Amino acid sequence: MKKVLTFAILLTLLLPLSVTAQDAEPTPDVAMLGEGELNISYWNGLSGSDGVTMNEMLADFVVDNPDISVTSEIIPWNTLYAKLQAAFVAGNPPDLILMHASEVPQYASYGVVKDLGYLYESGGGWFPDEDVSAITYAGMQWEGTIYGIPLDNHGRGLWINIDHFEAAGLDPNMDQPTTFEGWVELFQQLTLDADGNNPTSDDFNVDNVVQWAYGVGNWPLADFLTLLIQHGGSMVSEDGSTITINSEAGIRALSQYQDLVYEYQVSPPAAGFDTWGAFAAGQLAVIPTGTWFRNFASTLDVNGQAWTTVQFGEQPSTWFGIHTFLIPDSLEGDKLAAVERLLQWMSDSENQVYWAGSGQVPALLSAQAVLDPENYPSNIVMGQSFTDYGFLDFKSTVTQELYAALDPELDAVLNGLKSVEDALNDGAERMQAILDRAE
Amino acid sequence: MTGASARPGAGLDWRPAWLPEINLKRREEIAAWLFLTPFLIFFAVFIGRAMFAAVQMSFYDWHALRPSRPFVSFENYEELLRDDVFWFALKNTIVFTAMTVAGTTVVALAAALAVTQPVRQANFFRVLLYMPSLFSVGAVGLIWVWLLNSQFGVINYGLSFFGIRPVNWLGDPALVLPALSLTTIWWAFGFPMLIFIAGLQGIPEHLYEAARIDGANARQLFFNITLPLLRPTILFVTVTGVIGHFQVYGQPFIMTNGGPGRSSYTVIFYFYHTAWASFRMGYGAAVAVALAVIMAVVTVVQFLVISRRVEY
Repeated sequence: MKKVLTFAILLTLLLPLSVTAQDAEPTPDVAMLGEGELNISYWNGLSGSDGVTMNEMLADFVVDNPDISVTSEIIPWNTLYAKLQAAFVAGNPPDLILMHASEVPQYASYGVVKDLGYLYESGGGWFPDEDVSAITYAGMQWEGTIYGIPLDNHGRGLWINIDHFEAAGLDPNMDQPTTFEGWVELFQQLTLDADGNNPTSDDFNVDNVVQWAYGVGNWPLADFLTLLIQHGGSMVSEDGSTITINSEAGIRALSQYQDLVYEYQVSPPAAGFDTWGAFAAGQLAVIPTGTWFRNFASTLDVNGQAWTTVQFGEQPSTWFGIHTFLIPDSLEGDKLAAVERLLQWMSDSENQVYWAGSGQVPALLSAQAVLDPENYPSNIVMGQSFTDYGFLDFKSTVTQELYAALDPELDAVLNGLKSVEDALNDGAERMQAILDRAE
Repeated sequence: MTGASARPGAGLDWRPAWLPEINLKRREEIAAWLFLTPFLIFFAVFIGRAMFAAVQMSFYDWHALRPSRPFVSFENYEELLRDDVFWFALKNTIVFTAMTVAGTTVVALAAALAVTQPVRQANFFRVLLYMPSLFSVGAVGLIWVWLLNSQFGVINYGLSFFGIRPVNWLGDPALVLPALSLTTIWWAFGFPMLIFIAGLQGIPEHLYEAARIDGANARQLFFNITLPLLRPTILFVTVTGVIGHFQVYGQPFIMTNGGPGRSSYTVIFYFYHTAWASFRMGYGAAVAVALAVIMAVVTVVQFLVISRRVEY
């Protein structure tokens, strides 16, 4: 008995070690590409499958430009921004940075990134101003100056499990619902407990669900902002001075998202539910995700298809962002010329189509136009929604700080820790203080 | 000629004539300072200077890249006193530290007692049990996120054999801190185990022999000999444990991102958010300074409370 007990204790203590023995997909954190003497150090946060596509493109670039080598460093976005700050303070930033357009105002206001207006055709350069959407073009600017070269549009959409739809007698190519009630009805048909009951049945057992319709916890912030705008609200007042998330539109938007969990029981609480893992395991019928899901979806044993974002409010809207190249203000001479060559190569229409293989929507409209529906269905479906009714992040030097204050409040609501009103009022108060400080 | 009555052993004195005579106590003091000097230089350059800079920074509205850094006096500290997230994070930190220090101390002591028994392969088990301490917090966090996963985790899978429904370890606000603490205990008990092994080996065997002759059983030996004589070791383990675990950051950052809601926010996690995600270095410095002061107070209290009963 003593030996058995000892063995059991040892097993418990050492169990986690067994996990370390499992094979893990190697992450290409740092890739040295090419052997040219002019080395470009390039930081980006493409830690998903889009990073693989980026490194493939860089490998092609250095073949075309043998005098240049590229050291591509992939750092998760949050860490990237912290590390970048330290690098700028130390006077040793990378030669090229890929970041989100929402970060442009902050770095531009610090005066540490270069005015890239001269690279645009309107400034005598080669980048075709007319070949990007007006909203993308605006996203590159801060206070009238152009700081970025856009790589893509990436944003929210859905992926559905076709088999789940067909098993529920639903056509995966149906017209998407345009009301909250329509979506709830759809989700109810796609949620099943172990006995095959859905939430409309009296016998439905919410503690034993084997297939959820929807996962609210994937990225509540982007989804809340989307629903907020669908209901005619906004995060900040038009003059940019007042936080308005706790408006009537905000309360309706977040209440609907909360109701999917606690009223209609078609989504599990946010925390602790792995939406990607559940979709991959056939336990989730509809995953709110984004363009970046394309390559991951192709590796799954799931019969999937892209849809556009849900519409719960009166008007459609969907969040999207722009991956944007920025150059440190201090870069000069041969290195600057090498970086410009790389940016021009990346902005070539053919290479923009190659980038679509990452799942993202190319920034150039001419590249978007040549994507064929056979190979790029998700890029086309979601890309069209960005063009038609997409919105970018609120433009300010403190956008990420505002989001950091709002995010835990949304998470608290979706996990039943706070009421919608309390969370939005608390969030608004903290965000207002941030906004006031920034003025 | 130095005089007719030379000191005994004077011939062994290599000291140059210009150097004054130094007594033994003074020599020991000089030797001690010489040994301490490399550390003191390291401390002054890499820690003391940074601490001074942090205190200085906390009096400014300091953003790392913003050219203007206005002096704001005590405004950051006044804001800190009103900041409910800071106080909530502090409460979480105290709860986490209490659970983790208690758990680590008990597990480490139990492990030390087990591997100091006269069993075969004791060294093998010592190495095995110490191994988790060699991992980085990143590796430990990722491993335990998988183990504790509510849908696919091995722990819930094991519990299902006992008819226990899946537990949302990292998603339930009531369980998230204990789950992070459990992870940390598994990761961190190796080092205190080594300290306890050293402490156990320092207890004279004749005390046990005398007690056994008097008829003491194993329980009495442990509570009347082992535990009292381990008090200095326990003091060391708990004091260093409190200082270490008060600074918990990697586990919530990797495993929960502070959630659900802010249920697993800790002070250093909040410091990271203010200083490195929101770039408010001045306010972040105020958070860090406040935590340092609180830790210093807690450490002094620990010494006063525990050391009263310690026999060296």
